[in-house]
Order: sequence, then structure tokens, then C-alpha cells
Amino acid sequence: MSVDMAVDVGELNLRGPVVAASGTFGYGTEVPLLERRALGAIVSKGIFLRPRIGNPPPRIVETPSGMLNAIGLQGPGVEALIRDYCPQWAAWDFPVLVNINGESAVEYGELAARLDGVPGVAGFEINVSCPNVEQGGMYFGNDPRAAAEVTAAVRRRTRLPIWVKLTPMVSDIAVIARACESAGADGLSAVNTFVGMSIDLHTYRPRLAFRTGGLSGPAIRPMAVHLAHQAARAVRIPVIGVGGIVSADDALEFLVAGCSAVQVGTATFADPRAIARVHDGIAAHLEARGLSSLAELPRYLPRD
Amino acid sequence: MLELTAIVAEVRHPTAHYRVIGFHAPAIAEPVRAGQFVNVLLRPGPLLRRPFSVYSAVGGVVEIIYRPVGEGTALLADLKEGDRVSLLGPLGRPFEFDPDWDSVALVSGGLGVAPMLLAARDARDAGLRVTWVHGARTVTELSPESAGDRSVIATDDGSAGHHGSAVAAVPDGVGGVLACGPNRMLAAVAARWPDAQVAVETYMGCGTGVCLGCAVPLRAGGYDRACKEGPVYRAADVDWEALPSHLHYAAGA
Repeated sequence: MSVDMAVDVGELNLRGPVVAASGTFGYGTEVPLLERRALGAIVSKGIFLRPRIGNPPPRIVETPSGMLNAIGLQGPGVEALIRDYCPQWAAWDFPVLVNINGESAVEYGELAARLDGVPGVAGFEINVSCPNVEQGGMYFGNDPRAAAEVTAAVRRRTRLPIWVKLTPMVSDIAVIARACESAGADGLSAVNTFVGMSIDLHTYRPRLAFRTGGLSGPAIRPMAVHLAHQAARAVRIPVIGVGGIVSADDALEFLVAGCSAVQVGTATFADPRAIARVHDGIAAHLEARGLSSLAELPRYLPRD
Repeated sequence: MLELTAIVAEVRHPTAHYRVIGFHAPAIAEPVRAGQFVNVLLRPGPLLRRPFSVYSAVGGVVEIIYRPVGEGTALLADLKEGDRVSLLGPLGRPFEFDPDWDSVALVSGGLGVAPMLLAARDARDAGLRVTWVHGARTVTELSPESAGDRSVIATDDGSAGHHGSAVAAVPDGVGGVLACGPNRMLAAVAARWPDAQVAVETYMGCGTGVCLGCAVPLRAGGYDRACKEGPVYRAADVDWEALPSHLHYAAGA
């Protein structure tokens, strides 16, 4: 294929526009059938300073065209991440961004400081949008001042690229997007999961032990395309579209709607080769339209 | 672990209660061991794959046994010889056979029979005498197929074999105990034989270790993954109080 799929997302040069979404690819080290040639980048599973055991089961439930999850950011903590995973990342020929989490802006900043300069860490995705933790998480993402405070706290501690992963659970995503941009973000991942709930009619209780979970999958895609588009119209920094992408056409919708790159998440659970399939499908689409590079893809991004 | 397109080789209805479907998948059938599973993608069908214990693996054909109880299994029931599905497998950690055993009891409740034909094969390969112990709520829900040197049947309502649970029907003096069934039953196994190996059932997202959806609570604290560290556990290592016993699609759970 002769199509140039490379894309610059801020200072990060990606070989292709398809990025593995946080929480759906682990730390990239035990993914089956990993096809590196098609990976633009990986965003790691969300990490905290300290280990977290996560939420009790059931943690997931399938819903029409989607799934609810309430994993609760189970993870080994930053020191184990640095010891066990970063050395492997350092040998890879694509960037790994670490999805960072905290219960306060200070904790986010400390995580960034600890990871800054560690070989293998190419940047950060600030998670201010996890619906499945009691402290922090989505709270930071639906208040523009809190989102900006967290972004600024990370910006002060690193010069590496910072993406902020936005929550869809807001009345105006443009306000949050601009607040993060002003505080020093280099990119925005739009969007995280929608909060949802499912009831078990055998027990008359929520299916998830956490009661609520984050809805992902094709069910959210049109809403995610709209929110990513709104974010892209509001800022000058790149937006990475995420939400329910299964096929190349799905990804192209986000790209045309103004996104510089996309993330594929839940689709990988059913198809471990989803990222390569989406990458190849985008290239095939461009070629079929006589376009020689992704940069030539027409965008629908009217500025107000 | 492989992802491959497999052709449906055969469909069987051994009783009104159970169905068996076989997929031509030599690359999985050859290495698979008892307790491991395959993750089946149904298209068109639900978003996520559906995990099934491998029931048998003969002549390059991987069989699974199921009851049509939900969306995924209803689609499975519609498959015919020659249809194609994507299989991911073999997945998970299998049963292990202790060289000190001279015999083993394979204890199953309802659909928990799923890994036991393979377990009987692997046990015989390890030179063990096999006691097959199978229970169900009632006679019509008993699995039609068994293997081993001795067979013991139990029903909750006494309509066949021992009146009571499969766990209560296990004779004394067996070497190892391997069990699969509703999580409530496995908790009873843990109480009688802490060192028994049990195959647990959980909700599952990816089946490959990345989503952390299939969390199994451990007595030592924390969770690990049924798809990766499991689905076979030492019975006493699982925190049975915290493991959900009711899966809405599970038969007999």
C-alpha cells in the first residue's frame, strides 16, 4: 500500500492514526497477535501511584451493541510499571503513553514527575474521566477548573506530550476542552465511557457490583463522534477520537469530523486484530479515493 | 493461543437439555488440555465473544457443550455443519495432575460436565483411575455422556442415583479432586477438599487477559483473572463469598 498513513499528533509522530485505547490493551506486553506495524501508539492501562485491587465482580456486562465496565482501575502502581513494563516499551518502535490517575491534582503531578524521563514513556494521557472510582476520576473531568488544575499540575512536572481524556458526561465539552488546552495540554482524547446501569431481573439488583459502569462499544459511537467534533471545533490542539470504533469506516467518521487520530478499544476484545484491520481499512479507503496520504482526507471542521 | 476461522463439523443434541457443537480446529484440538476454553465469536451476533470449556478434542474437532439460555447460545444453536466461526484458544490454565495421585474424582454439577470428558482423557494419560461423579437438579438434566472407571450419579430431587449433591456423593479415598459446576457447588468442594482444583465460571470480556473483567476474588486478597491465571484454581484459594454465584446466562447456577 503506497498511502502515507503517518500523522503528527502534536510533537508525537505516529506511523498511523490508530492508537490502542487505555484499558483495552493492558500494558501492551501480553496482547495476543500483536501487529506492531499497524500501531500508531499504545495508551497503557490506567495507573495510580500505588497499587489498586479494583472493584469486586461482576465488573462487566454486555448491553445492546456495547458493554458496561466497572473495573475500578486495578493496577500494580507506578513502581511496578517502571520495573516490569517500561523496559519493554523502550525497545518498541512506536510510542507508549501512560494513562495517569490520581485522587488529587498533586497525585497526578507526582505520577508525571516519577515517569518523566523513564525510558519507554513517550507521553501521558491524563484520565479525568473514569466513572468507576470513588475518589477523583470523572469528578476532575466535569469541572473546567478542576480539569485545568490537574492538567497544569502535570504540565509543571513534564515536557513530554500530554493528552487529556475527556468525559462525555458534561453539558458542554467545549468548555472543558478549552480549559485543558489553556492549562497546557498537547492533545485531547474524546471521549471516555458514558455512565450506564443495567438491572438483573433475576436478583432485582444492578448487574455490576459497582452499581454503575462505563458504557463503551458501537452503542456510543454517534454520540462520541459528535463530542469529538465539538471538542475539535473548540481547540487548536489535536483531538484523538475514541468511542465505539469497530471498522475503518467508523474511524474515518471521527477523522473527517476533525480528529487527528483515533483510539480503538472495546473492539479489540472481540477481535484481537481490530487495530490492524482498522488501519488497513483506512489505507484502502484513501487509496480507493485516489488520496496518497491521510493528510489529504477531507475534514468537516467549520470554525465558529 | 490462536485466532482462527473454524468450520462447524457436527452438531449433536445428546438430550433435550444439552447441545454439543464441534468445530474443525486441529490447531486448537491438538494442544488443548482439560480445563482450558475457547472464546467463540458469533457474527452476526453479540459484541463480545462467548467463552466455553472445551468438552472434547478428537480428530481435530473441538467440541463444546451448552444449553441455549441466552443470545449467544441461541445463535450457537442456529449454526449448521459447514458454517464458519472465529475461535480464540486454547485459553486459560488447565487442570494439573499430581504425580503422587493414583486416582482422581471428576466432580461436576449440571453444565459443569463441560471440561470433564477431556479431564478423564488427561487423567488416563497420566495413568490415574478415574471416578466420574456427576449431579444435576433432576434426571432429565443429567449429562448423557460419561467417562472413567467408575461412575456415580446424583440428583437434587432423587430422581436418579444418589439423592443429594454431587459433592456429597463422592466416595472416600479418591486421590485428587477436580470439580466444575455452579460456584455454590464449588464452595462446597472447597469446604470438603481445600486442595481440589476447580474450574470457575465468570463473566468474561476479552478472554486474553487485557480487560480485567473476569475478576476472581482471592482469599489472600485482591483479584486475578479467570481467563489467564484461571479458570482452574485451588479450591481454598478462592474467596467464595465474594465470587458471584448467579450469572444470568448460567445453567443451574
